Amino acid sequence: MNTGKSHTMYPSTSGTSVVGLVYDGGVMLAADSLGSYGSLARFRDVKRLFKVTDKAALACSGDIADYQFIREVIEQKVRDDVCGGYTRELNAGALHCWLTRVLYNRRSRFDPLWLECVVAGYKDDEPFLGYVDKIGTAFEAKEVATGFGLHFAVPMIREAREKKQNLSCDEARKLLTECLKVLYYRDCRAHFKYQLADITPEGVTIHDDLNLKKETNWEVANYISGYE
Amino acid sequence: MALEMMMSGPDYMRDPRKHQFSPYANNGGTSVAIAGDDFVMIASDTRLSRGFNIFSREQDKVFPLTPKTMMASSGCWADVLTLNKVLQARLTMYSHEHHDMMSTTAVAQLLSTMLYWRRFFPYYVSNILAGIDEEGKGVVYHYDPVGHMEKLTFSATGESVSQIQPLLDNQIGGLNMLGVKPPTMTKDLARQLIHDAFVSAAERDINTGDGIIIHTITKDGKTEETVKLRRD
Amino acid sequence: MALEAINGVSRYHSKLDDLGEEMVIPEIGNLKNQYQLCTPDLPKSECQIGEFLIDETGRKIKLNYAHGTTTLGFKFNGGVVMAVDSRATSGQYIGSGNVKKIIEINPYLLGTMAGGAADCTYWERVLAKQCRIYELRNRERISVAAASKLLANMVYQYKGYGLSMGVMIAGWDKKGPGLYYVDNNGNRMPGNVFSVGSGSIYAYGVLDSGYRSDMSDTEAQELGRRAIYHATHRDAYSGGVVRVYHIKEDGWTKITEEDSKDLHYKYAEEKTKRSQ
Repeated sequence: MNTGKSHTMYPSTSGTSVVGLVYDGGVMLAADSLGSYGSLARFRDVKRLFKVTDKAALACSGDIADYQFIREVIEQKVRDDVCGGYTRELNAGALHCWLTRVLYNRRSRFDPLWLECVVAGYKDDEPFLGYVDKIGTAFEAKEVATGFGLHFAVPMIREAREKKQNLSCDEARKLLTECLKVLYYRDCRAHFKYQLADITPEGVTIHDDLNLKKETNWEVANYISGYE
Repeated sequence: MALEMMMSGPDYMRDPRKHQFSPYANNGGTSVAIAGDDFVMIASDTRLSRGFNIFSREQDKVFPLTPKTMMASSGCWADVLTLNKVLQARLTMYSHEHHDMMSTTAVAQLLSTMLYWRRFFPYYVSNILAGIDEEGKGVVYHYDPVGHMEKLTFSATGESVSQIQPLLDNQIGGLNMLGVKPPTMTKDLARQLIHDAFVSAAERDINTGDGIIIHTITKDGKTEETVKLRRD
Repeated sequence: MALEAINGVSRYHSKLDDLGEEMVIPEIGNLKNQYQLCTPDLPKSECQIGEFLIDETGRKIKLNYAHGTTTLGFKFNGGVVMAVDSRATSGQYIGSGNVKKIIEINPYLLGTMAGGAADCTYWERVLAKQCRIYELRNRERISVAAASKLLANMVYQYKGYGLSMGVMIAGWDKKGPGLYYVDNNGNRMPGNVFSVGSGSIYAYGVLDSGYRSDMSDTEAQELGRRAIYHATHRDAYSGGVVRVYHIKEDGWTKITEEDSKDLHYKYAEEKTKRSQ
């Protein structure tokens, strides 16, 4: 059936991993700012993490255009909610649920939004961290990552938690930066510039234009041999 | 849509330039239900995975539907969530209309019809429904992905079905054994069987593990119990 | 809202509207209209189960549903005999060994089940409803011919979508015993002897060699039973319990339900007795 409509069956400009974790007193979320076009590092300052309300932040990996679309929709939704004045502020749990429905319905139409989303924030005064992908797979966890982060970051965070159950804010931030660093070393589509969101009961703080470059150490590269 | 077999293996081994959309994923999971004269037990493992990734180690796959019924589903998690959401909406509409909850037999038929609705784009879900029927007896319904259902007294479904179902057939059904009378099902026996079945499955199946949550339904209400499994 | 809006000019476009259809509770059309099923936005040929069952990494997703069967039915002077096995297989796995493959549509009509188990149970359930409505409208029972035609017309609507069913509709009406074969392609034909399913070839062998129109009731029932037994013995996808039904002027009766294992020893014993 050729309806003359083209569907996103593959991503074009895309963002790589997003990493998030719940710590003692809040939720943290980080994503680098590279928009890759295949193997080309095309845009080096693409924001793919944003504050939704005081109770929720969203970061996505996958197709940047689809992210920007869903971001606009969500911002419109939040505005409508505020202007309507009849709903409570969109919290992370509600946003997560809404995203699951939208992404699932789009996949059922064979017109997916090519995204892997991480929703962080609060739901009924409880910290919330959830994942949704383009087909509507959704779950909550204490540590969530997308793309390569699933292979690198999640085990790192789980290991840190085995050693120490409750992470403080500083420890969480250090751990998250460490995750991004490892991802920068090993993921060819990762970048040293990143954004980080810290969500506490007081609200959402977004740290823009963070940089890993000074912390990285490429000396180890000299030890890698046998590929010449 | 050209859907030739692509390269298989872990997702990081895949050519990153080649992307292929598939509406389905296999997220694993195993469920077991055993019915007795005045109770029914339904349990599932708590691992949620995709390929070689473990998404969550504490995902309950048993959903409460009415005070007397529960459903365990596994397979494509996106479909599981949706099926459950739609079913729950239907049950709420029913209870508003009738000022009463839907009976277990009615829920069982509704679920079958809902699964068949998507006959040509199926929910990739293995389901068991457990509940207390109109006479107060425990019942188990087993479903295939497109809505064929069978009423049973015990059943397993999901990733490790071929390891657990034969065990239950032998221990509860007493099938093909001369002079063996099937045991009367008690809560203790059911709990023990579910426990042993999952421990064995976790030993031999990569997609089953981490833990189990066992739900018990009686006419007086529901209880749940968590048991730990191997986490490797 | 002003003149521009009345004239159909919309200056304000909300991106939320682009997701309008994604934000409602999905309908379940067949709760209202049983004939209506969800058809995905794809060509007919791609709606076959298995067509898009592949995950992102290219691993095949196994969608197994009940399949594999031996069923038979034949007319003779004493009415219609139907016999079936009870095994449901999903690939190599025996999903169930105790499926009721004879569906009791009403006291005068029986349907069998071969192919997709869900397809057969669903459509024969819809048929049962239609037959009851016919009775209420016309103050008389539906004929076997009409009932089978209702079913054939129902499945014909979805021809090419990948339904899988080969059923026999049997009963007793004004014209006497009736037996029809209906399948997912829309075929519908009357006949005296039918066998459907993976084990049908074995059943036909026994059936054709023993069939006479002047059999006694017990002879006919035994012929059906024996045919199914031999099919369960030779066909890996058939097995379990052998069920035999007999339809006469006053409706159907269930004759026997015997484990094929017990039948095996029974027939083996008879054989040794004969040779002595």
